Amino acid sequence: MYGFEAMTFNIHGGYLEAIVRGHRAGLLTAADYNNLCQCETLDDIKMHLSATEYGPYLQNEPSPLHTTTIVEKCTLKLVDEYKHMLCQATEPLSTFLEYITYGHMIDNVVLIVTGTLHERDVQELLEKCHPLGMFDSIATLAVAQNMRELYRLVLVDTPLAPYFSECITSEDLDDMNIEIMRNTLYKAYLEDFYKFCQKLGGATAEIMSDLLAFEADRRAVNITINSIGTELTRDDRRKLYSNFGLLYPYGHEELAVCEDIDQVRAAMEKYPPYQSIFSRLSYGESQMLDKAFYEEEVKRLCLAFEQQFHYGVFFAYMRLREQEIRNLMWISECVAQNQKSRVHDSVVFIF
Amino acid sequence: MVVDHETPSLENGQTDKEVEENANVLQFMDSMDAYLTLIHSLSSTLRRGWLELASARHSMGASRVNTVLLDHTSHPAATSLLVTQDEGKVDSGKPHFTLCKWESSSNENSLLGEKQSSQDKLHPQLRHRGSTELYEEKTSSDNKASREVDDPVQKERSKSLSMFGTLVSPKLRAAQLSFEAALETLVEIANMRSEMLCAFDQVNMKLEGRKDEK
Repeated sequence: MYGFEAMTFNIHGGYLEAIVRGHRAGLLTAADYNNLCQCETLDDIKMHLSATEYGPYLQNEPSPLHTTTIVEKCTLKLVDEYKHMLCQATEPLSTFLEYITYGHMIDNVVLIVTGTLHERDVQELLEKCHPLGMFDSIATLAVAQNMRELYRLVLVDTPLAPYFSECITSEDLDDMNIEIMRNTLYKAYLEDFYKFCQKLGGATAEIMSDLLAFEADRRAVNITINSIGTELTRDDRRKLYSNFGLLYPYGHEELAVCEDIDQVRAAMEKYPPYQSIFSRLSYGESQMLDKAFYEEEVKRLCLAFEQQFHYGVFFAYMRLREQEIRNLMWISECVAQNQKSRVHDSVVFIF
Repeated sequence: MVVDHETPSLENGQTDKEVEENANVLQFMDSMDAYLTLIHSLSSTLRRGWLELASARHSMGASRVNTVLLDHTSHPAATSLLVTQDEGKVDSGKPHFTLCKWESSSNENSLLGEKQSSQDKLHPQLRHRGSTELYEEKTSSDNKASREVDDPVQKERSKSLSMFGTLVSPKLRAAQLSFEAALETLVEIANMRSEMLCAFDQVNMKLEGRKDEK
């Protein structure tokens, strides 16, 4: 039984909930995707997108277009919408909206650190960072030699500081340590976000618990599959799984010892929500697993809009837009590479 | 009955000459056919590789599969190309290309790579003339030896892919294998082109010899 959110939510959150529901109506439909999938060139895609909300962002782009340009401009639209909502939000919605971007912040930190390790120019790296994950001192990351310095010089003043307690070591930053740092940070972030939503209570807690648990479970599966055949030990693998979700703790014990995709399937099929995902794949196949997970995620995100007076709609909208941008990226790549027969391999329809 | 022994021997000489010319022409056409088939194979392998790379970027995210992550530190090349003159033919001037893959692993592994590529040269996968049984026996013995070098080779593959992170999607590994296959095909194309040009020179020489005789 929820609290009396219907009586008080609209005082501070009503305007922004209306805004985000309006934005949701602007998501591309199946008809839009069908038109886009029939484009012959990237300029055709630009022409079709000019009739959508992406139009103003792409209209001034000169030909020839690149797929990265389309993705950048579409992301810019998402960033503008997010910033508008953030500057209008009051607590605790403003903190909730900031939590949504911490994942991108982690990705940006890892990008800068990895690029610096590979002796790349910092300016070049900053241009490739996700705009939702930028913070003031991000360029200073390039001077850090190990994780302790990374924390002390830069990250101590950022929202990621609390997540570093588990990975502060004096070890030099190399590829394996950076990967473990990435996944440890993300694990800590997801757990923190989960606790924050639980504290908010009501419909927000219920809906966000489901969405974040799915995210944690999907990460566990991806970490397992990606670590098969690598030097990552079973114990290290287990440490990267989040401490919540449907798979916690018994599913994680099984996933930690999996050596191939069929063993992962056997572990996951014991859980009914994931049985339906793996039933769509043939044995030994993992190529379509991403699409199957994205489809399940989109279904859950769309369901979040069925209830009112909760913050889950903001999270759901951001994720649906990111999925839409992934769809546009894939369609653009297939058109640019003249491989339109493969366009439906990875496009996930939202409506 | 007078038997004219000179005419049959002259006929035999011309017949031998014609047989040799026909063999040269056949060799030229065979090598051209193999060359065109390899070009087509390279094109489809590269198409597959590029799409797999796009698929990996879609799966892992643009921040993880990015040109800015390419390693600019100085490091030894994982793979190199060895150019030698063709053995067994005097003054042939024909270059032979050998791909030495994953050189930073043991020497035995790179030698095995050379042996495999030379086997591929003798028995090209797409078409070959000769005993199929001999080819199958050599292939099975190579398969056993190749399993033994898989682990170091796999480590080298993971090492070169580590610029994108240690835990990468299987789609990125598939893209790596596709581009690796494309590199091998390129070396085969270079060798086949060298053979084709050599066979063309042989045919040309015979034609000019014929014109001079006339």
